[in-house]
Amino acid sequence: MRSLTQQPFRTAVLVLVWGWLLFLVLTPNLLVVGASVMTRDPGSFISLPLTLDAYRQLLNPLYLEVFLHSLYMAAMTTLVCLLIGYPFAWALSKVGKRNQVLLIFLLIVPFWTNSLVRTYALKLILATNGLLNNALMSLGVIDEPMQLLYTEGAVIIGLVYLLLPFMILPLYSVFEDLQEDYLRASHDLGAGRLSTFIHVIVPLTLPGVLAGIMLVLLPAMGLFFVPDILGGSRNLLVGNVIKNQFLDARNWPFGAAASIMLTLAMAFLMFAHRLSKRRIGEDGV
Amino acid sequence: MKKLALAGALALGLAGCSGSEEPQVLNLYNWSEYMPQEVLDRFTEETGIQVVYTTYDSNEAMYARLKLLDESAAYDLAVPSTYYVSKMRQEDLLMPIDRSKIEGFDNLDPELVNLDVDPENQYSVPFLWGTTGIAVDTADVESEVTAWADLWDERFEARVMLTNDMREVFHVGLRVLGYSGNSTDPKEIEEAYEKLTELMPSVRTFNSDAPRMPYLEGETDVGMIWNGEAVMGRDTLESLEYVYPEEGIIAWLDSFVIPKNARNPEAAHQFISFVLQPEISALISEEIGYATPNLAARELLDDSVANDRASYPNATDMINAEFQTDIGDEALQVYAKYWEMLKSGQ
Repeated sequence: MRSLTQQPFRTAVLVLVWGWLLFLVLTPNLLVVGASVMTRDPGSFISLPLTLDAYRQLLNPLYLEVFLHSLYMAAMTTLVCLLIGYPFAWALSKVGKRNQVLLIFLLIVPFWTNSLVRTYALKLILATNGLLNNALMSLGVIDEPMQLLYTEGAVIIGLVYLLLPFMILPLYSVFEDLQEDYLRASHDLGAGRLSTFIHVIVPLTLPGVLAGIMLVLLPAMGLFFVPDILGGSRNLLVGNVIKNQFLDARNWPFGAAASIMLTLAMAFLMFAHRLSKRRIGEDGV
Repeated sequence: MKKLALAGALALGLAGCSGSEEPQVLNLYNWSEYMPQEVLDRFTEETGIQVVYTTYDSNEAMYARLKLLDESAAYDLAVPSTYYVSKMRQEDLLMPIDRSKIEGFDNLDPELVNLDVDPENQYSVPFLWGTTGIAVDTADVESEVTAWADLWDERFEARVMLTNDMREVFHVGLRVLGYSGNSTDPKEIEEAYEKLTELMPSVRTFNSDAPRMPYLEGETDVGMIWNGEAVMGRDTLESLEYVYPEEGIIAWLDSFVIPKNARNPEAAHQFISFVLQPEISALISEEIGYATPNLAARELLDDSVANDRASYPNATDMINAEFQTDIGDEALQVYAKYWEMLKSGQ
C-alpha cells in the first residue's frame, strides 16, 4: 500500500531533482567548459577551432597576482568572519531555545533584501560624509573624517557583512551538538578552561569551522559587485576579472577559463575538506 | 549588476504582458542619467506607447547585451557613442533608419551629421554630444588645474577620480604623452599604460555610473568627469568646476540607433522624432547638462544654459579636442590587456 502511494511522489521528486541538476547545473557548466576551449571571435564571441589559448593566457603572471590578491582578501574576510562568528555561534547555542529562534531569525532577515541593495547601504555608512564618520565626529572620537570608502578595508567589510551568516550557521550546528558531558569530564579530569577549550572544544567544533571557511572563502572570491561598489572598481576579485572578460574585453574563452579555474580551486578545497573530515573522524572521540 | 537585475525584471514583466497585446511598448536602452523622466512621461502621454527604460554605464556593456540579445529583440532603441555606431553598423547589427518617418532631422547641426562613422546617417540620429574633461572641487583644491598632466601632481594623492571607461582613461594617458587619444600603436598604448601606473596611487575610485557622485560625497577633489555630470553636480556642490584641459578635451557624440531585430521599430522612429522636437531637445539639454546637436533647440535654451561653457564650449575650449573613433578589434585587445593590468595594480 505505502509503496503504491509513495511511488509517484518519489518519481516526481527524482525527475525534478535530476532535471534540475541536468538543465541548471550540468548544461551551463558544460557550456562554460565548451566556451573555454573555443577561439575568441570579435563577431560572434566564440568560434572554432578548438584551442587551449585561453588556459595559456591564464598563466600570465598578471592573473596569478590577481588570483593571489583575491585569495588574500577572501582569506581576510574568512578570518574576520571566524573571529566574529565563533564566539557568536557559541553564545547562540547558550541562550536558550526561545532566544535562539529569535536570534537566528534576525540573522536571516537581511537575506530578504537583495545583497546589492545592502552593499549600497553600506556605502552610505562608510562614505566620507557618511553615517559612521558623522557619528564618530559628533561624538568627538575623530576630528577628521576617515577615508573608509574605496579602500581594501571597505571591500573586506562588505564581504564580511554579506558572508557572516554562512560562517555562523555551520558553527552554530556544531556547538549545538557539543555535549556538556565532555566539558564536565574535562573539568573533572583536571583540565583548566583554556586547555578544555584547546583540547576538547576546538577539535569538536573543527568540522563546523572548516565548513564555515568553505562557505565564506570561495564565494568571497566571486562577489564582483562588492569591489565595484565599495572598492571603487579597484581591489579586484577573480569575479571582476571574469565579468570584465565577458562584458568589456569580450574575451569569452578567457572568461570561461578563469571561471573554470575558480571552480577547480573550489573543488580542490572541498576535496581537502572531505579528507580532513575523515581524519578528524578517525582521531576524534 | 544592478542593471542586469533590472533588465531581467523588466524582461520578465514584459513576457508577462505580451499576451494581452494591447499597450504598445518601446524598449529604450540608454546610458544611465541620460534622459529626464519628464520626456518619457510626455512621450507616453502623447503617443500611448509605454517606455521600458533600461540603462548601461559603458558602450562595452551595451554592445555585449545587444549582441547577445540580437535574436530575442530585447531593445528597440539604443544610444551608442560615435565609435560604436560604426562598429555596430559594420557588424550588421543595425536597422536603417527610415528618414521619411523622422521629423526634424534638418534641425541638426551640419557639423554633427554625415560623420565618417555613419556617412549619410543611414543608421543613426544624433541625440546629444558632450565632452570628458576635468572636474575640480575648488573648495578643496587651491591652485589652478589646467591640464590633464596636473592630475599627476603629488598633492592629489588618493583624491583623484577617473571614469570607469577604458578608452577615456587611456585617452588621457595618451594625450599627456602627446599622442592621439585614438592611437592603435601598441608601443604608444604601452607607454600610456606606464604613464597611468604613475597616476594609480592617486586614484581613489573609477566611476562611470554617475561620475559626479564621488565629488559630491567628498571622496575625491579632482579628476575626470563628463560635462553634463559636472553641470548636474554643480547644483549640489557649487564649488565643482569644469576645466578644459590644455592637452585637449575628449569629445563624443551619442546617437540613436535601432537594433536590426527591434520588435517595435515604428515606436523607435516615433521616439526619435519626438526627441528631435526643438522644445524637447532643449528640455533635455537644460535638464541633464549635455549639448544638443539640435540647432533649433539651441535657440530655445535658457541663457544660463546656452552661455554655460561646461555644456556649450567655445572655440578655444575645443582646441586640441579629439573625437573618439573606432580603433578596431586588434587595438582593443591591447587596450583591454593594459586596462586590466592597470586596475589590478601591476
